[in-house]
Amino acid sequence: MPKPAILTLILALLSAFGCVREADIDLPDLPTRIVALSHFTVGKPIQVEVSLSQKLTDAGDPVVPFNADVSIAVGGQFLDKLFRVTGDDGRFFWQSRDLVQVGTEYSLGVRIGGFETVEAVSYAPKHIPISEMRIDTGQMRVTDLDDGRRVLRVPLEIQLATLPNQRRYFAFALRHEIESFEVINGEPIPDEYYDVQTKFLADGRTLALVYDTPEQVVLINENYWGDGRAALVLDAIVPFDPTHERPRRIFVEWRTLSEEFYRYHLSLARQGNNLPLNDPDALYNNIIGGLGNFSGYSVSEKSVVIPNTF
Amino acid sequence: MATRVSATLLLLIFFCTGIALAQDSLRRSLVDFDCVACPPADALARLSRQTGVNIAFNTTIFQDCPPVSLAVRQEPLETVVGKIAACARPSYRWNADQVVLFRKIERYTLSGYIKDAETGERLIGAGVRVRGAGAVTNEFGFFSMELEGGGYRVVVTCLGYQSDALLLDLDSERMLIFDLKPNTALPEVVISAPTTAESNGGQTGGQHNLPFSATHGVPMPGGEADLLRMAAFQPGVQTGVDGLGGLHVRGGNADQNLFLLDDVPVYNPSHALGLFSVYNPATISSARLWKGDFPARYGGRTASVIDVRTRDGNLHKRNVELSAGLFAASATVEGPIKRDTSSFLISGRATYLGPWIDFFSKRENLLAFSGDNITYRFYDANVKLNYLFSEKSRVYLSYYQGGDVFRNRFAQRFDNLEGRLTDQYSLGSEWGNSIAALRWNYLLKNNLFTNTTVRFSRFFYESQLTLLSTFLGASGRESLVANYGQIYQTLIEDLSLKTDFSYFPKNNLDVRWGFSYTLHAFQPGALSVNFLVPGQSPVTIDSLSNSLRNNERLGADESELYAEVDWRFGKHWSLEAGLNFASFQVRNNVFRAPQPRLRLQFGGNTDWRAWAGYHRSAQFLHQIGSFNISLPFELWVPTTARVPPEHVWQASAGVGLRRSGWNVQVEGYYKRLERVLAFLSTSTALFTGGAEDASGWEDRIAAGTGLAYGLEAIVEKQFSSTSVNLVYAWSRSERQFPEINSGRVFPFRFDRRHDFKITVEQRLAPWLDITLAWVYATGNPITLSGVKYQHHTPNGEIERNVFVYTDVNGYRLPPYHRLDAALNAHFGAGRFQHAVQLGVYNAYNRFNPFFLYVDSGSGTNAKAIQYTLLPFVPSFRYSLKF
Repeated sequence: MPKPAILTLILALLSAFGCVREADIDLPDLPTRIVALSHFTVGKPIQVEVSLSQKLTDAGDPVVPFNADVSIAVGGQFLDKLFRVTGDDGRFFWQSRDLVQVGTEYSLGVRIGGFETVEAVSYAPKHIPISEMRIDTGQMRVTDLDDGRRVLRVPLEIQLATLPNQRRYFAFALRHEIESFEVINGEPIPDEYYDVQTKFLADGRTLALVYDTPEQVVLINENYWGDGRAALVLDAIVPFDPTHERPRRIFVEWRTLSEEFYRYHLSLARQGNNLPLNDPDALYNNIIGGLGNFSGYSVSEKSVVIPNTF
Repeated sequence: MATRVSATLLLLIFFCTGIALAQDSLRRSLVDFDCVACPPADALARLSRQTGVNIAFNTTIFQDCPPVSLAVRQEPLETVVGKIAACARPSYRWNADQVVLFRKIERYTLSGYIKDAETGERLIGAGVRVRGAGAVTNEFGFFSMELEGGGYRVVVTCLGYQSDALLLDLDSERMLIFDLKPNTALPEVVISAPTTAESNGGQTGGQHNLPFSATHGVPMPGGEADLLRMAAFQPGVQTGVDGLGGLHVRGGNADQNLFLLDDVPVYNPSHALGLFSVYNPATISSARLWKGDFPARYGGRTASVIDVRTRDGNLHKRNVELSAGLFAASATVEGPIKRDTSSFLISGRATYLGPWIDFFSKRENLLAFSGDNITYRFYDANVKLNYLFSEKSRVYLSYYQGGDVFRNRFAQRFDNLEGRLTDQYSLGSEWGNSIAALRWNYLLKNNLFTNTTVRFSRFFYESQLTLLSTFLGASGRESLVANYGQIYQTLIEDLSLKTDFSYFPKNNLDVRWGFSYTLHAFQPGALSVNFLVPGQSPVTIDSLSNSLRNNERLGADESELYAEVDWRFGKHWSLEAGLNFASFQVRNNVFRAPQPRLRLQFGGNTDWRAWAGYHRSAQFLHQIGSFNISLPFELWVPTTARVPPEHVWQASAGVGLRRSGWNVQVEGYYKRLERVLAFLSTSTALFTGGAEDASGWEDRIAAGTGLAYGLEAIVEKQFSSTSVNLVYAWSRSERQFPEINSGRVFPFRFDRRHDFKITVEQRLAPWLDITLAWVYATGNPITLSGVKYQHHTPNGEIERNVFVYTDVNGYRLPPYHRLDAALNAHFGAGRFQHAVQLGVYNAYNRFNPFFLYVDSGSGTNAKAIQYTLLPFVPSFRYSLKF
């Protein structure tokens, strides 16, 4: 949507006739609540970030309650009391000792003195992996840039093993591997390999139905599959410097999502970017008594070699 | 046996012959009779006494006859009776000793047109009354009624015109042309308050005539008279703040209103995002609003109908009208092409809003524009031609072209130690309507009127955005950082044929039927985004446009068949019943919708009125967008297999009393939106680094339900030089979608519990009056966040602040209220007529919130910023007619 132009016109009209002023308004008076955020997957421990919500007008970092009591239960039976861990970036989170198992429904409980205890339930669903990933070699295109670099456009078709009739909740992330080489005696000698996040293009319908998420995966709206489609089709955009770089592979991280994961990130996407006159949807929240999200997913990765036809 | 039969027959023949001879002698008997200015009934009574012949008759047959004067000598009784009773043209039955006068019931059609005596324009909604019957002129000034033969006094009335009366001896089919003189004692600015709920035709409740001429007297921003702002003065009709955001009728969406201009749908009825409408007041002949119970002839929308007809142009003489306000000016020329046979009307309106915006935006520096160059303008052009082949046949050609153009170029500069980054933006938007209608009126019989129209309507929106980003390094070397372009287009185009029949078989029964066929073409929008990597060939807007114009359009066809009757029965009752059957075909899918309409009314000539109605309606066209107010760039899209048609039903009932200068109406309604659509927008697709078009719109539409109900009241009082008009509506409107607000019910964006408007007009002198209008409404509900938390990426970065919106539209903005005032003067010198309006809009400078924006800031405390659209705005307009 051409929001920039329309917003500018609205603001221009406002400037011609109207006024802008700071207003003292009674924002919805919601009490401070526990915020729990956790996306867990099979074979890894559950990690939960705990913080306190802030008023909209509060600046600064949110309070992290170090004394939080975080536990996990399965089938109503206590399973694990999570221990506090300091991450590489200095942030605190609470981590389980047990590893997540597929299909097991985990109950999260967070207790902090002075606050209502919060609870949430989710599971890591059975994974629906990619069955086939194809590159349409005939449609690959290379564009030369003036600065000597090239952009490779790689048509990619991602086919699923089975497409369920409902709960078609998926997300993906693309990255590609670049081989860096040195030319010694006229021969390219591989120097190092590194991964880069891959941008992509697609038809309009596809782009309208995928959303970036804070989890750095792209969420696919379940309506995408409602058009009889069984595959995700897109063009990976791979820039490289032909003098010392060569694209090698494309990796696709493919996630099968629980409903809690899907709904939460869909509602986040629908909040837009807080533009005026947007109608944000209510935030999906499965933390009973608090805020945030506790949700599981299953994940696999598949790669395909980029044909050296360029 | 045979002999007995023969004898009986013979006796019978003798008997009959005797009677015949006796009657004959009675008729031929000679009498003398004198009478001066005698009512016919009295004269016959005297004649009966004088001759001893019993003359029997019903006095009512002479009810409309003038007195007779007679002096006859030795003339046959039959002749004398005939002369006295000639006016009533009775039938006679002569017996042996008496004569019976009776009216043989012959029925004739009285039809015709009512016209403005000065301009020759046919008048819509004028009333024609005769004894025991009445009719109202249709959209082409035509009326028809079937009456018994006899004498009648025909009275013709029309708001703003002097009444006319005519004595008519109806002894055959008659066609009359009435020329009504404008009521110069009531100049345009004094026509009663803008909320007049009843005028010609006796509309009640959900039906309103919009007194377009009153727009000139009501204070409006910049003095620019506006019909849709007048519509918003009706109970149950709301707009967004200060007019922005479309019209919302009884809890309906903005796209659920059918705006018609000369019977052609208008897809975008506003300029300047809603501040002004496309209806140029100088061209309007009549405007009617239906909020419910709309007749079966109207289809395709579910909330309301605003039917605006333009003037035909003066058939007698050339007129010019010039008008200039603070923001816009207009000029209208009309006159005969061939006197009394054909005429033209040409009108143009343009704004000079652009310099205001440019000036103030630089002053406010609202968007931190550097080097702003903003231009904005809108324009309207109306052309209408008509040719009168005969009183039975007439053609009209009307054309409208209007649009808005917005351009802005600005640059933003960011300096650091390494150099200066310059972003040069160029924004442009253009949108508008093209509308044409070719109509042919033909009177097949005196009581059968037809109108055939070929219609064309087109609405387009196009916007462009380019960004050229360069970096000037400290070394003085300039490099290209980004070159970005996008273009967006949306289009809807209709071509249709419509034929209507109006049949008036009896004076208490009107029948209408007709059909229409419309070919729709949609281009539901396309947006291309190009991130240009440095060094790549620049993408130009032209190349984008060309590629977009090659996009395949989506076609659909829509058919409508309708029939409706207006039956007046008993002394006080009338029933309007109809059925509209619509069919919509797109991509080999066919959708059908029968839409019954029913309205029962009690009233007639009594002070009290009561009415009740029910209607069902379906809508196959939808406007979708991601803003919460209606804006012109939103897509018009058709119903498809995945986007179902909208269905609405409404029941309403009300009572009214008109007595001693008071007019009071109360009406309640209950409305079910059985299926209503919403667009699920996201803004992230733009930032995925690719191109977006609207081909995914079908997957982003959610279907839900809605409910609206309310109570509306109007109180009007006309004093000698003051008129007071009070309007109040209590209403509730809500929505429910499985995919929004976690499936919970939430208030509609334009749900307002209380809506109150009062208008007072005071005549200070015959040439001077003042109008005050005060408006109060409960604040609109909006979705507002109360708390936030941070959501980190897996690598620990703060990805975003998550604003917790608990309930959709769960917060109410402060109430909206304002006071407007206008002083209107009009005076003439020779053939020059001047009108001046001085006024203020929002006189006490109330800061009504247009929207609130919570700026979460970065590193500083968040602020709630309130945007007000129209604070105190003076208005001025000068009009000259000659």
